[in-house]
This record gives sequence, C-alpha cells and structure tokens, in this order.
Amino acid sequence: MAALTQTFKMPDSIKKGSKFSFCPGCDHGVAVRLVAEVLDELGLRDNAILVASIGCSVTLYDFMEVDSIEAPHGRALAEATGVKRARPERTVFTYQGDGDFASIGMAESLHCALRGESVTAICINNTTYGMTGGQLGPTTLLGQITTTSPTGRNVDYYGYPVKIAEHVALCDGTAYSARVSLDSVPNIRKAKAAIKKAFEIQQKGLGFSFVEILSTCPTNWKKTPQQAHERVREEMMPVYKPGVYKDITADAEVK
Amino acid sequence: MTECLTTTDNKVLTKGNYAIANAAVMAGCECYFGYPITPQSEIGEFMSGKMQELKRAYVSAESELAAINMVIGACSTGAKAMTSSSSCAVALMQEALSYAASDELPVVLISVMRGGPGLGNIYPSQGDYNQATIGGGNGDYKLIVLAPSTVQECVDLTYKAFYLAHKYKNPTIMLADGLLGQMMEPVEFKEYPYPEIDNSSWALTGAKNRPARVIRSYAPSADNQCEFLKKLHAKYKLIEENETDWEEINTEDADIILVSFGSPARNAKSAMKECRKLGIKVGLLRPITLFPFPSKRISELADTAKKFISVEINMGQMIRDIKLAVNGKAPVELLNRPVGNPPSVEEIVARIKKESEVL
Amino acid sequence: MENNFIIAGFGGQGVLLAGEVLANAFMLDNINVTWYPSYGAEMRGGTVNCEIVMNDAEDVSSVNKAETDYIVALNQASFDRFLSKVKKGGWMIANSTLVKQLKPRADINYIFAPVTALADKLGNVKMTNILSLGVLAKISRLVSLETLEKALDIVIPPHRKSLLPLNIKALKIGYEYDLSLTNV
Repeated sequence: MAALTQTFKMPDSIKKGSKFSFCPGCDHGVAVRLVAEVLDELGLRDNAILVASIGCSVTLYDFMEVDSIEAPHGRALAEATGVKRARPERTVFTYQGDGDFASIGMAESLHCALRGESVTAICINNTTYGMTGGQLGPTTLLGQITTTSPTGRNVDYYGYPVKIAEHVALCDGTAYSARVSLDSVPNIRKAKAAIKKAFEIQQKGLGFSFVEILSTCPTNWKKTPQQAHERVREEMMPVYKPGVYKDITADAEVK
Repeated sequence: MTECLTTTDNKVLTKGNYAIANAAVMAGCECYFGYPITPQSEIGEFMSGKMQELKRAYVSAESELAAINMVIGACSTGAKAMTSSSSCAVALMQEALSYAASDELPVVLISVMRGGPGLGNIYPSQGDYNQATIGGGNGDYKLIVLAPSTVQECVDLTYKAFYLAHKYKNPTIMLADGLLGQMMEPVEFKEYPYPEIDNSSWALTGAKNRPARVIRSYAPSADNQCEFLKKLHAKYKLIEENETDWEEINTEDADIILVSFGSPARNAKSAMKECRKLGIKVGLLRPITLFPFPSKRISELADTAKKFISVEINMGQMIRDIKLAVNGKAPVELLNRPVGNPPSVEEIVARIKKESEVL
Repeated sequence: MENNFIIAGFGGQGVLLAGEVLANAFMLDNINVTWYPSYGAEMRGGTVNCEIVMNDAEDVSSVNKAETDYIVALNQASFDRFLSKVKKGGWMIANSTLVKQLKPRADINYIFAPVTALADKLGNVKMTNILSLGVLAKISRLVSLETLEKALDIVIPPHRKSLLPLNIKALKIGYEYDLSLTNV
C-alpha cells in the first residue's frame, strides 16, 4: 500500500498553534489563510515584512509567522513605503480594512499607488467599521443601516460610498488592481489567484499591486454567515463588481 | 549652496539647514522622507539631490503624517532614517512619535521651530519646547531632545541624534529654530564620530531561520502594559544618567544664573560676559539636552545662586523645568521674547542689572 | 574685537550674496563669523538685508544687534530704515546712484559712492553689490582685497565661474574708488 501523503495542512506562514480571534463566520479568516498560502507557494515567507493596520486586522501578526510592524490607523502604506525603500529586496505587504485604507488612510493609500511603490496591499471591504461596533464607513452602501446611519445611508448626510479598486486602478503607478469576493468556493479560488498575481507583480518590481476583498461582518450585519454571503452576492457585488480593473501584465500580453 | 559638501578638509561657510542635511548624510542616513515647510525646506532640497546621487532613499511624502510614518517603516528594518519639519507640521507628527516611542524605534526628527500657535509665522521661535519635551502624542513617553545654538552644533548634534536614537532605540528630536536654520557660520564636517549600533537583534529583516518578530504598541492586557511602561521608563532613567548634557560658564560664584538654550543662549552668553566686566556675578547654564534636562545640576546650583533668569523666545516654557529643578530654593524670573529674534544683549544686560539690585 | 555689518537693498541687488562673500572672507582669515538674513516672507522687488558679525576673540557671537558698525545701503529705503541703527562713530556707506546725499545724523560717518552707476559703466549693473564690497573693504580695513577675491571664488558656483573675472574687477573698482569724491 502506498504511503499516505498529507494534501491539506496549515500553511507555514500561519503561526503554529495560533487561533484566529475573528468572530465566527467572518471572512477575515479565509482571507488571512489565502495570503498565507500564497506566501508559502511563492516561497516568500522568510523574506516578507507585513505592515498591519488598525481595526479587526490589527492582531494579524498574532496569526502570521512573518516579521510585522503595526502602523497607526490609516498609515500602513506610508510605513510600507518606508520599509520597502529601506529594504527594496524584501516582499512588503499591508493588510487593511476599508476604513483604514480608504477613509483615514486614503491619502497614504492613493499616493503610495501614485508613486508606484513596489508593495502589495490587501484591503478587506465589509462595508462597516467592524471592531468599533458597526459604524458607517467609506464603503457603507446607500441605504445600509449602521450604528451611525440608523435610518440607512443617504446621500444628503453621508455622501457616496467609494469604489476602491476602481480608484486605485486610476493611479498611474498601479500595476494591478482587482476586486474579489469570498462568498463561494469558485470565488475564493479566484481571490487566491488575484492575491498570488499581486505578489508576483511585486516580485517583478512592476509597481503597486492591490486586491480588494469583499468580505462579511456577520456580527455587525446581524446575519448568519450564510445570510451574510447572500448579502455580499445580492447587495455588494452589484455595486462593487468583482473583476480585474488594471493589470499591466495582461495589457502587455494583448500587445 | 546645494552642491556636494559631503566631505571637506577645511571649514565651510554653511547655512544651518544645509549643515544639518549634510551631517545627516555623513552620519549614514539611509532614508529621508519629508514634506516642505519654511524655515527648514533647504534640508529636503539638499537631500533630494544628495540621496539620489548616493543611491539612498528619498521620498517627497504627501504629508507630514506620511513622512514620519515612512521613517517609522524604514527604522523598523534597523535603517538610519529621518525627516525634518517645523512647528505646525511637527504637530501633525505627534501620533507617530507616540507610536515610535512605544515601538522603541530610532526615529530622527529635525524640528526647526517657527512662530505659533496655529500657522503662526516663519519667524524664529522656541514655542515648541513643550511640544518636544512634553510631547503632543498620547501616553507616557519621552523623546530625546537636543538643542544646538551654533551652526557647528547643528552638525555635531545631528550626528549625536542618530547615535542616541539607535543606542537607546528611542525617537530623537534635534530642536533648532528658524534663525539657526537660516544662519551661516564656518563649520567643520568631521567623520561621524560614534560607533555603529548593531540592530540585528530586533530589526525586521524577514523571519528567516528564526521566529517572526513583531514591532507593535498594542497591548491588550493591562498587566503587560504596566510591565512595558516600567521598562520604558527605566530606559528614560538610564538616558538621564548617561546623556544629560549642558554648557556652564561662570556659575561657581554666581549670584544670578542665566538659563538659555538654542540661539538666545548666544546673547545670554555675551550679556553675562558684559555684566562680569561690570562686576556683577552672573553665570550661564545652557542645556544642550532638553530631555534629559540638567535638573540635577540646576538643583545643585540653586543651593548657592540667589536668582535664576530663563531667557527664551516664547511665553515661558523651559522656565517650568527650571522651577521644578530649583524647587523653591531661589526665585526664577523670565526674560522672554514671544516670537522673533532673541532678546538683544543690551536687553539682557539691563535685566541682569535690575535683578542684581534686589538679590 | 567684534564688528558687525548690515548690507541692505532691493531684492535682486545681490545683497545676500555680497554678505556671503564678506562672511567667507572673514572665515578665510580665521576670524569667527556669523551671517544671517533678514527674516520674513520676502518677495521679488521688496527690501532685503543680512547682518554679518565678525569676532576675532569669541567663539560664538551674539545676534540681533542693537547697533551696527557698518551699514551698506544700496537703495533709499534701506538708508532710511537703517540710519538710526548705525553705531555712534560708525559708517553709513550709501549707493549714491539711488540714495539722496543727505546727512541727517552728525555723529556718524558717511560714504556716498555711485556703485550702481559704476557697475553700469563696467557693463553689468548686477556688479553693484560686489562694487560696494570693495568700498566697504577700503573703509573698514578689516578685510583685504585678496581675501575677498578668494571668497568670491568660493561663493560663485562652478556653472557661473566665467563671471569671476568681472566680479574681481568690480571689487577693485570699488576698492580704488576715490573716496574724496564722496564728500557732498
């Protein structure tokens, strides 16, 4: 009888024995695992430096076995710039929420993209400030009820939500910008491919690479994980359409 | 003036801002991140050319918030990195300085003070003594603060800022003012005189053949944070014991001691000498480190001196530290100019004469 | 011994540069020197000035002096502004091309030299500042023509070195200007 081989295991980039502290059903766990698998597969773990952010993602360094620094709220891509400029041979990435990336950190995020810094940014978009209890954030959908939009987001009081991947794609320094979803197994596979592509683009030094991940917050949305994924499909994906918004390597292939 | 100054055998007549920038290059600064603000913009201008020429990192940051956080990022890898700014823009950096103190990172900030509060104006000022020594960030932290009073000291203390920042893993500010930034004096750029500090035990380099490292300030448990703060403050105590620095002239028999830092200390020194010629027993104590402040020495001098006069370009900020050190043993008077050039020698002499009549 | 100088004029007259040349000359003579500009939001065409303090005894000079030993006023506004600052027995060196030859104070010395006209005659009105330095060197006897020439070589950047001979010429014209002509 042939020897058994293990085909599924925890990635080396996940800290041994660590337990995610995310709420049950939250997509953060899936997203972190995908990033870890990609680091493993590309052999980047022991060369990588993570810049963690503020929000539910703050303790990412407790789950990932990579060198990490925790940035003040919104400043992750400024710190990532500093890390990369000081140590250009390292793989540098951020893992941020939509509030960190596109509200308090919008200037740092877009300017990092405009400079074409060779870093990778992963942004979890769950349409709310999760850690502080579900307030209105930059990606909260029109009509969405949060603790600070009790009658739903209306334009008069709150203005419009931001389409992050599209904005990042407009920056000339961006090499890759994609939006993916974790609502189904096929989409999770696509998400992993996008994350992998982003890191490969950094390895080639082609510019800023970005993946926005549509994600759930069952706790603050007051939904079961299944209902939450239905919301991603029915309410988020029509507005935040998954897809690749910029890929300079694909453009090159067309030519 | 933006031509290469990097190494010279002779003295060069150099503007304070260029002297600082060139000294940073000579100190081995690997990364400069900055955003322009008068009266220190020449530092970034010099660095933009020089760092690129030397194939070191230079970024025109989108804001001071970004600039100081880029410094944090670079320092987390053990690199020598810096930014430079002024008053209202240093105000924007306070959050990051608090993080850097907690992260124990060797951030170097050159702060060239201008008038405040708010936008204020671009005249020289010492209105940010409190901002530097007490800080505007949250939590119990201290920054090392160095105060030059000549252009040569701008060079020497820039070297020292990099050394102390790395030696103690503590953010360090060199606090100059607009007058020093724009002033030209002959300076010597000697080789960086300090030993290189080995950062390999903590720097982020990628977790190769070792457990991953984390540089963080988030401490979810109260117990951890108590331990951490005790450790941090033990370090500050060590810095006080080892690094407190000041210049002292004619204090031994002095009835009146002038205390002044930065550019006004120049006029205080001249005034002190004039008064000595008149037979008035005056001395000068010039703090070179503002944190650690020479409190112990001032306390000793307060046993014999009859009066202290704090000479500052602000509404009286350092005077609080002098009073704390003197601790009621002698009166502490203030001779200040709210903003602008330092009080003139004549003004200081007149005040000394007046104060000496009522000892 | 300490002496201080203020050089003042329009923006564009090369006031700061003249001060820098003078400061470099003192440095070359191993005399402690400090140069600092007037301070404020300067605009093209506005007035500008710098102060130079030289001291052969002290290592650090005081700044923001109440009085001045030598003032070089390249325009009327500077003459008016700084007249009261001249030390008793000190010197006001005025550009008589642009400054009225009046002596409102009796306790100071005046030199009225048409430095702009002389620079024009030399073929480059921009030499006004360096010409006035020549006059200042002659009056003050604190710095030699040779040292000022060396200082010019330091201050003039490599891409402008072709202008060095003209600057040295201007310096000499100023230095050799017949001061007896300056009496009103």
